[in-house]
Amino acid sequence: MSRSMKALRLAVFMAAMTVAGAVLAVPAAAAVATDGFPDAPPAPGPAPKLTVPTPFAQTLANGLQLISAQRTDLPLVTAQLVLRSGGEMDPPRLAGLADLTAKLLTKGAAGKTAPQIAAAAEALGGSLTAAAGWDESAVGITVTTPKLPLALGLLADVVRRPAFSATELKRAQIQAIDDLRLMLSRPTALASLAATRGVFGDGAYGHSRTGTPASIARITRTDVQQLHRTLYRPDNAILILTGDITPAQARQLAQASFGDWQKPVAPLPVKPVGKAASRLPAILLIDQRGAGQAGVVVAHAAPARSDAGYYVGMVANAVLGGSYSARLNEEIRIKRGLSYGASSRLEPMSDAGLWLAAAQTKNPSAPQVVDLMLGQFARLGHSPVSAAELAARKATLIGGYGRRLETTDGLAAQVAELAIYGIDLRQIGNYIKQVQAVTPKQVEAYARKHLDADGSKVVVVGDTAQFAAALRKAHPHAALLESTALDLDSASLLAPTAAK
Amino acid sequence: MTLRLRPAALLASLVLLSAAAVPPSTAAELSIPPIRYHQRTLPNGLQVLSVENHASPNVAVQMWYHVGSRDDPRGRSGFAHLFEHLMFKSTKHMHAEQMDRLTEDVGGANNASTGDDVTNYFEVVPSNYLQTLLWAEAERLSNLNVDEKNFKSERAVVEEEYRTRVLAQPYGKLFNAIDPYSYKVHPYKRPTIGSIEDLEAASLHDVIEFHHTFYRPDNATLIVAGDFDPKQLDAWVDRYFGWIPKPSTPVPQVTAKEPARRKNRRYTVTSATAPLPALVQTWLIPPAADSADYIPLQVAAALLSQGDSSRLYQSLVYRHEVAQQVGAEADGRVGPGLFTVYAILASGHRPAEAEKLLNEEIVWLATQPIPAAELDKVKTQLLTGELTQRQTAQGIAFALGQAALIDGGPQHVNSDLAMLQKVTAADVHRVLQKYVTGAHSVTIDYLPQAASATPGAGKGEAK
Repeated sequence: MSRSMKALRLAVFMAAMTVAGAVLAVPAAAAVATDGFPDAPPAPGPAPKLTVPTPFAQTLANGLQLISAQRTDLPLVTAQLVLRSGGEMDPPRLAGLADLTAKLLTKGAAGKTAPQIAAAAEALGGSLTAAAGWDESAVGITVTTPKLPLALGLLADVVRRPAFSATELKRAQIQAIDDLRLMLSRPTALASLAATRGVFGDGAYGHSRTGTPASIARITRTDVQQLHRTLYRPDNAILILTGDITPAQARQLAQASFGDWQKPVAPLPVKPVGKAASRLPAILLIDQRGAGQAGVVVAHAAPARSDAGYYVGMVANAVLGGSYSARLNEEIRIKRGLSYGASSRLEPMSDAGLWLAAAQTKNPSAPQVVDLMLGQFARLGHSPVSAAELAARKATLIGGYGRRLETTDGLAAQVAELAIYGIDLRQIGNYIKQVQAVTPKQVEAYARKHLDADGSKVVVVGDTAQFAAALRKAHPHAALLESTALDLDSASLLAPTAAK
Repeated sequence: MTLRLRPAALLASLVLLSAAAVPPSTAAELSIPPIRYHQRTLPNGLQVLSVENHASPNVAVQMWYHVGSRDDPRGRSGFAHLFEHLMFKSTKHMHAEQMDRLTEDVGGANNASTGDDVTNYFEVVPSNYLQTLLWAEAERLSNLNVDEKNFKSERAVVEEEYRTRVLAQPYGKLFNAIDPYSYKVHPYKRPTIGSIEDLEAASLHDVIEFHHTFYRPDNATLIVAGDFDPKQLDAWVDRYFGWIPKPSTPVPQVTAKEPARRKNRRYTVTSATAPLPALVQTWLIPPAADSADYIPLQVAAALLSQGDSSRLYQSLVYRHEVAQQVGAEADGRVGPGLFTVYAILASGHRPAEAEKLLNEEIVWLATQPIPAAELDKVKTQLLTGELTQRQTAQGIAFALGQAALIDGGPQHVNSDLAMLQKVTAADVHRVLQKYVTGAHSVTIDYLPQAASATPGAGKGEAK
């Protein structure tokens, strides 16, 4: 339970940033006060250089892409088997199928039961974790170097020879439905799901990626087997090995575990369209009676990962809400004490992207937080970012990037992100240069272009009795929905019988 | 006899064998390279621990103060944590949030946390900013200067943090109730996050008093890990911290003794938003520095709950499908700690069902033979987790701080792992029988209850 009551200065979802040769205006050389203690911070020395490991890509005869990146500080290796398909492939009415399929991989395979697989993985010191993202499904494990051959054998078993037994499916469905009930009781989690539906409508990215209680209950064993047969194949797969391993060792191990994996003759299915017309009002309030806080979310559509403006977008988001000192947290938390943390994330995917800001606040403050968030999105496209602010937020972004590459699993995640979207792996070493090159004009133009195009979707989940009336003064068209009338499987979010 | 973990150079010989034929190496063969730290104490009492490591161009700077929520002033629960937030406001030579300018804005990061026994402030920065950060930490140790306006706005933030952690998390009220119900006498009974009422009662005067009482060089440990030159570090530390006077008064110490429990106790907490019931049980355990007992308790907790192959998961979640989530933890502290187990129930099940199975598993573990392979598994898990943490300068510094301030001294960062390797089934039986099956529990039932029935919602459980 990780001592949940330990109190941190920053909300956990914000605490992911550092390094790099950030160049910034530095404080003047320290003057020395009378007691010998300088009254200004000492200036920094010359910036150290960040060394980024170079990924090495190879392809096996069956089409499996193998990428390794060496980091030999400690005898650890992360192994990730990634499929280039995820929740975007969920059929209509079967939201959560790709995620449930990924989670079922480890619940019985190659003659071993679920408990046997868990015991085998954990005896190696790691644990097999599996989940679907929007454009990928992945199973991974981190172990000490000597355990790697056995870990890869296990990884191959669960990916290639899963049992998908009826009893395990039933068990997984019950667990997934309870997981969803827990998730939907958190105001910001529910608001994010609803806002995402608002942005993408009936498009492939509009549904709940982990499903809904109703859609999970509809999934059959045949659905799971068919998704696995269609998408889990070597020519749709990437094996990533990062840490204490050479390219030659990677090849030998990959060949041993995945070399005889046959690729089917049928072509891979075409990816669906990510975004369709929205059927939600611009502002939606969802009543969650007794909620301890309101979850406020503002979301916009954004460009796909392949967009030429990718780095401009990353910098724009860094300015808006990518870190503690970014604008959203500055305005909502630091200046006004309205929240423990306000942040935003820009998530570019293969066919479209999502730009989403979130904060939790006491129920009566929800209207003020909505307006502050809308104001900060608007400001980004209508006034230039100052040079000092831009340099600071670029440094934060670059620092966080460098720190994520320090661990084997962070390095694997970065490599995977490039590989899934077919980006040249050399970009891993160009990130800093690309971020540094972004100008204030580009940020402003990017924000104006993408934020004005489609309008924002605002969703507030909370005890609406405490804020709905006040919020409607500024936004008379805000719609109100009881959480009991909510149907996340519907693009209108309305259960058929419960319109209001 | 232990072997070092084999580096990649030796892996080649392994892969010549087929994967299935590789003899599984056991945890007894694993050995984590020791953390080679340097330790010194300045004349004013500041303890300095450092670990040179050039794996990345970063350096972690951490200040650990021997003060936590156990030291909250009377009627001011949550104060140590509120104070932690105020350390990011103005000082004599720094404006509010300047710490962020010196970290985030140059490619670093900062945060801080407050626990029962310690408050730590931690930064990671490109290593050319080490000198800057040492100055800044010395500055806020010696020259804090918060004004009324910043005090009030940050207190509002902390109140939102309370709402986020305790009220808006479906199980926040439950976890916040553990300490108040588990301790009778010891100040650990106050939750670290405090209560809205006590936070509202705090004043700027309290801030000044608290800083004066606890923020002093002889009550602090500075930890530096990563990319630095040791000689240069010593010189900078002397220059920025050496002049800070050591007060003549002693640091106040908690002397309260928690009495042994004389009977089992049971409490009920309700929630307007939690969708599923839950159950928590706790038992008192000795201080973390009592390694001979504390480390076997950690092994017991891992046997019960680490990973899907663990005993509680297999019984409650997998076989009986009574729980949606389970956990066990040996929560070691400077004073008496807690052995805690919990279950969030699956739909349609009641806390009593989970309680019965939890107790069966604990009694079974405490009395029946433990397979050698299972014991070996949890040691491998714990050691691999430790190694994973040590990939970063920040991770190394945290391991050292935990050892120095809570586990009994910096040497424990290495000796506790050696002791972990030697834990036997008999050790696990002995500590469980002594502190858990042979002692008294506190049980908390957590029950969903519709919002309309609780007009006082928003008050939390805190005393």
